[in-house]
Amino acid sequence: MTRSPVLEISDLRTYFYSRAKQAFIRSVDGVSLSIARGETLGVVGESGSGKSVTALSALGLIGGSPGVITGAVEFAGGDGARAGGNGRRNLLQDLARHVTVTERDGRIVAVAKDEPGWQAQVERSMRGVRGKEIAMIFQNPKSSLNPFLTVGQQISEAIRLHTPVKDSREAKERAIAWLERVHMDSPRLRFDQYPDGLSGGMCQRAMIAMALASEPSLLIADEPTTGLDATIQSRIVALLAELKSGLGVTTLLITHDIRVVSRLADTVAVMYGGTVMEHGPARDVLAPSVEPKHPYTSALLASLPSAQKNGGPHAIDGRLSVIRGEVVDTMDVPRGCRFYARCDRVTDTIRARCMSQEPALAAVTAGHQIRCYLYGDEPRDGARAG
Amino acid sequence: MVHPGRGAKVTTKLAAFRRVGVMVVRELALTALLLLGVSLVVFVILHLSPGDPFSVLLEGQAPGQAARASVREALGVPTTWYGRYLAWLGNMAHGNLGTSIRTGVPVAGEIVRAGPNTLYLTLGSLLVTLLLAVPLALYSAWRRSGALARALTLAVYLISAVPVFWLGYVVIYLCIHRFGLFPLLSATAEPQRHGWLYILLPIIVLGVANGTVSEVTRHLREELGRVMAEDYIRTARAKGAPVWRHAFKEGFLLPMTEMIAAKMPFVLGGAVIVEQVFNWPGLGRMAWQAAQDRDFPVIMGITIVAAAFVRLASLLRGVIYAGVNPRTATE
Repeated sequence: MTRSPVLEISDLRTYFYSRAKQAFIRSVDGVSLSIARGETLGVVGESGSGKSVTALSALGLIGGSPGVITGAVEFAGGDGARAGGNGRRNLLQDLARHVTVTERDGRIVAVAKDEPGWQAQVERSMRGVRGKEIAMIFQNPKSSLNPFLTVGQQISEAIRLHTPVKDSREAKERAIAWLERVHMDSPRLRFDQYPDGLSGGMCQRAMIAMALASEPSLLIADEPTTGLDATIQSRIVALLAELKSGLGVTTLLITHDIRVVSRLADTVAVMYGGTVMEHGPARDVLAPSVEPKHPYTSALLASLPSAQKNGGPHAIDGRLSVIRGEVVDTMDVPRGCRFYARCDRVTDTIRARCMSQEPALAAVTAGHQIRCYLYGDEPRDGARAG
Repeated sequence: MVHPGRGAKVTTKLAAFRRVGVMVVRELALTALLLLGVSLVVFVILHLSPGDPFSVLLEGQAPGQAARASVREALGVPTTWYGRYLAWLGNMAHGNLGTSIRTGVPVAGEIVRAGPNTLYLTLGSLLVTLLLAVPLALYSAWRRSGALARALTLAVYLISAVPVFWLGYVVIYLCIHRFGLFPLLSATAEPQRHGWLYILLPIIVLGVANGTVSEVTRHLREELGRVMAEDYIRTARAKGAPVWRHAFKEGFLLPMTEMIAAKMPFVLGGAVIVEQVFNWPGLGRMAWQAAQDRDFPVIMGITIVAAAFVRLASLLRGVIYAGVNPRTATE
């Protein structure tokens, strides 16, 4: 990659304790991703694959139930780029100090966490990053806006917090300009409305305006179209595409909707069971019949309605193909490949390794990595060997 | 608060004023109906309860029916209960609460005289309750699973179970007999050494033991906890905005007013007892005395004032709800 990464996540792990199941869940289990400046990285995967948690972890927004984040999130903001790369810093710096994880046989048995110290550390390292350098939009835009403040108050707040504009009237003009930019109809009227008076699509536009109003170096869009009507979805996608080409915002796009990713993303990471299975240029990863491809990616693409027309390898009798089996249990991660139990491309030569050792994310071409023994021999670093 | 420019503020404010106006008119109409209902119910109860003020006036005179009737006639009281109620209602409509059967003093004047003492007692003790409950609620919302938070919550439940009269007598015993802090006096007497303490004591006793501390704590903690888990608070955190600014209205202001309005009757009820225990010259003691005398104009007057006071608290809640929450406008 020629452009320097804005965000580089390495070996991110986020564990939660489930009171109901009396066990720890490895929501994110060793994720590494990087986003180059101006690029849109799409992260796709089924529900529960850990993509949203990855995004939230990057901003330290995991709280409430005992969530533990380890790994590194190297971030180089606007200032960092000017400082020639020296402005990079790890947002999870020193966080591990407040937590001790005890593992036995691949299962986490105990976590000791100094919650106040942890929270204080997160707040310290996120100061000046959240909202200012990295802005985020969420699914369910209606509930993501504060119902007690007008749309205008919320956008103005972001402007006054994170840009040199401190005067309220100037901030208002700026906010209205942003509302126009996201094609909100009658922005002056909407400025004074409460989120309750707006539709879901309008709320998402307001969220996007609010996120971009602080002119962040990175935008994280967490399922930005989920929970919206189909027609509204495509309009939001069109808006994001327009903003991408117009503003060149670096974006981390999290979605389960492959069509959204294929429209917006330059690179794609496919996640499964808390880890990245494939990471590469969007045109290579998402084209239905282009090989090489991780078996999970192929299966995912084959389960799309459009795959039938293209006669993808997994289309059977004109019916939608489904991935057999259940999503991997992240409480008790299997010793071998996470997808082994559902994989239909296991060959006899690799079966033994698939069962016993997790494969590494190996490069198949420049910038395209796949975690599968079909394309690489290496087991994963630090994989829990036999 | 963020101020998004003057024009915007004016329209937003205007909408809020309109919401509040509509709400106040509705609440006032409701209050009038409610007071009518309360007065009727209390009047019927008074009528059904044994004894009447005339027997009290003729105490020790072995009153016969004739003597009662003559007193009744002398006072110009209608014979039927509904006649008396309508007469009372008619006076009420002219702002006249009648005169005490026992003392012949106008009820309104008595209420105005004793009212401030009770107001001071109830508002003061409410403040004490909140001073106890709010920090505790904030602390335990922040450290939900901490050992100290749990211990404090348990302590608050125990405190809430303490009967107010018992605590009152214990405090009086300790302060007067054990430590001799001040002589046994009522607040009407000349201020003495530690007089301020004597004035504070009933407030503290009622504030601690009115039985609402635990519920106020729990409600505040739950509401704050619920709001902190809302999506929009996550947005505020992701935005780098002060979370407190976003959580304040729904997580603190609304549950606070809710609790103040809901607990006002309990505080008033506790005030009756505390005024007895501390010989506090307020409405509670007056009501107690009037109940013993079957002095119905006084009882009615105090009931109406107390009911109006409780309604005032819920009116305050309504104003704050409507002013703060745009969603109430759409109902």
